[in-house]
Amino acid sequence: MNYEIDFFYVLKGIDQLLEGLLVTVQLTLTSVVIGVIGGFLVCLMAMSQSRLIRLPTMAFIEVFRCTPALIQIVWIFYCVPMLFNVFLDPFVMGVLALSLNLIAFNAEAYRAAIQAIPKAHLDASIALGLTPLQTNLYVVLPQAIRLGMPVLVTNAISIFQQSALVAIVAIEDLMYMGKLLSTETYRPIETFTFVALMYFAIALPVMLLSSRLEKRYKTANS
Amino acid sequence: MTYTIDFLFLFEYWEVLLEGLMTSLQVTGLCLLLGLALGFLVSLMRVSSNKLIYSVSTVYVEFFRGTPVLIQLFWIFFCLPLILGTEISNFSSAVIALTLYMGAISSETFRASLLSIDKDQSDACVALGLDSLTKIMHVILPQAILRAVPTLLSNTVSLFKESALVSAVGMSDLMYIGQNISSVTAKPVEMLTAVAFIYFIIAFPLTRCVSLLEGKLIHKIAI
Repeated sequence: MNYEIDFFYVLKGIDQLLEGLLVTVQLTLTSVVIGVIGGFLVCLMAMSQSRLIRLPTMAFIEVFRCTPALIQIVWIFYCVPMLFNVFLDPFVMGVLALSLNLIAFNAEAYRAAIQAIPKAHLDASIALGLTPLQTNLYVVLPQAIRLGMPVLVTNAISIFQQSALVAIVAIEDLMYMGKLLSTETYRPIETFTFVALMYFAIALPVMLLSSRLEKRYKTANS
Repeated sequence: MTYTIDFLFLFEYWEVLLEGLMTSLQVTGLCLLLGLALGFLVSLMRVSSNKLIYSVSTVYVEFFRGTPVLIQLFWIFFCLPLILGTEISNFSSAVIALTLYMGAISSETFRASLLSIDKDQSDACVALGLDSLTKIMHVILPQAILRAVPTLLSNTVSLFKESALVSAVGMSDLMYIGQNISSVTAKPVEMLTAVAFIYFIIAFPLTRCVSLLEGKLIHKIAI
């Protein structure tokens, strides 16, 4: 091998990478916030009594769970402007694509969690005379978040990783900046390794947190 | 809106799309087999009492679960040839990358199901005087594998979806062909929708199977 490892150029381009990282983190956090809230609403809609609400919602969930995130992102980038004649900021489009994907996955997580809530709680809510809104807000939601937490965190980690896909539609996130830097410097090994480590450094603490949560959840249940 | 939707033109391209789908399925199938074997091996390494074996396998799994598949793919596509000093075709790098990804997520599945087997079963094996090979081959493994099936199936769906990424290194899979046709014909709405639909009709029945298996079959057979 006559390739000499030299991290000099990567370190010179560190500002560029950090800028990209900032975009990645912003994309992820915005999508996670939208996904956690939107996922619960969509989950309630998917469990609605009315077919008119339930069926389209379930179709939405299945479509986003059963197609590659890449095609969702590309579709939204090319087709939304053409179909609706709106031209949004690329960052907004990225958030839109990632949060729709996360909403679908979180809705499933919430649904599993809600099904684990004992039926007696709902009966009790009726007996206490709570309105449906109060029941959802004070009885169902807190438990759904607690029971669904391990999966919600796992989903957040995977949306963090899927966010790298927006580089393909030229949003200047960490992945995009890394690709750019590696072509500019002809140093793919150093750049890609460094970028991978940056992703890993952020994902690892969250992954550790999630496995601790899961353990606590298991011991609390047994 | 000035864009007129016309799905009919898609029929001219169905053969190419089918070819792309075949490529996607080939990559998925190959990586599924290799990834399952790798994942199984790694899961055994991760329950090993040898510290070195445990650490190596744990670092591998955590690293591949903690970084985007896209960067794993790019790393293998751009960096591995430099390190090895030989060319690697994009098919090989796609297969290597997705196999490593599938191996990492499946090893977690195998591990979870190995750990889910009740300790009593091991005790019972000791009480019955079974040697450890018999215990593993005839008592622990059959149950563990059966319990892992639903999650492995949903891993397969993830793998199939992730296979769309190989278009980023220029492999002509379904995604790549779809994007190409959509830019040549300037009809992205129909083309991309059609491609998404093709992915959907393959992945959706599989996810249905997952919920079916989780709901009934496994409980009936195994637990």
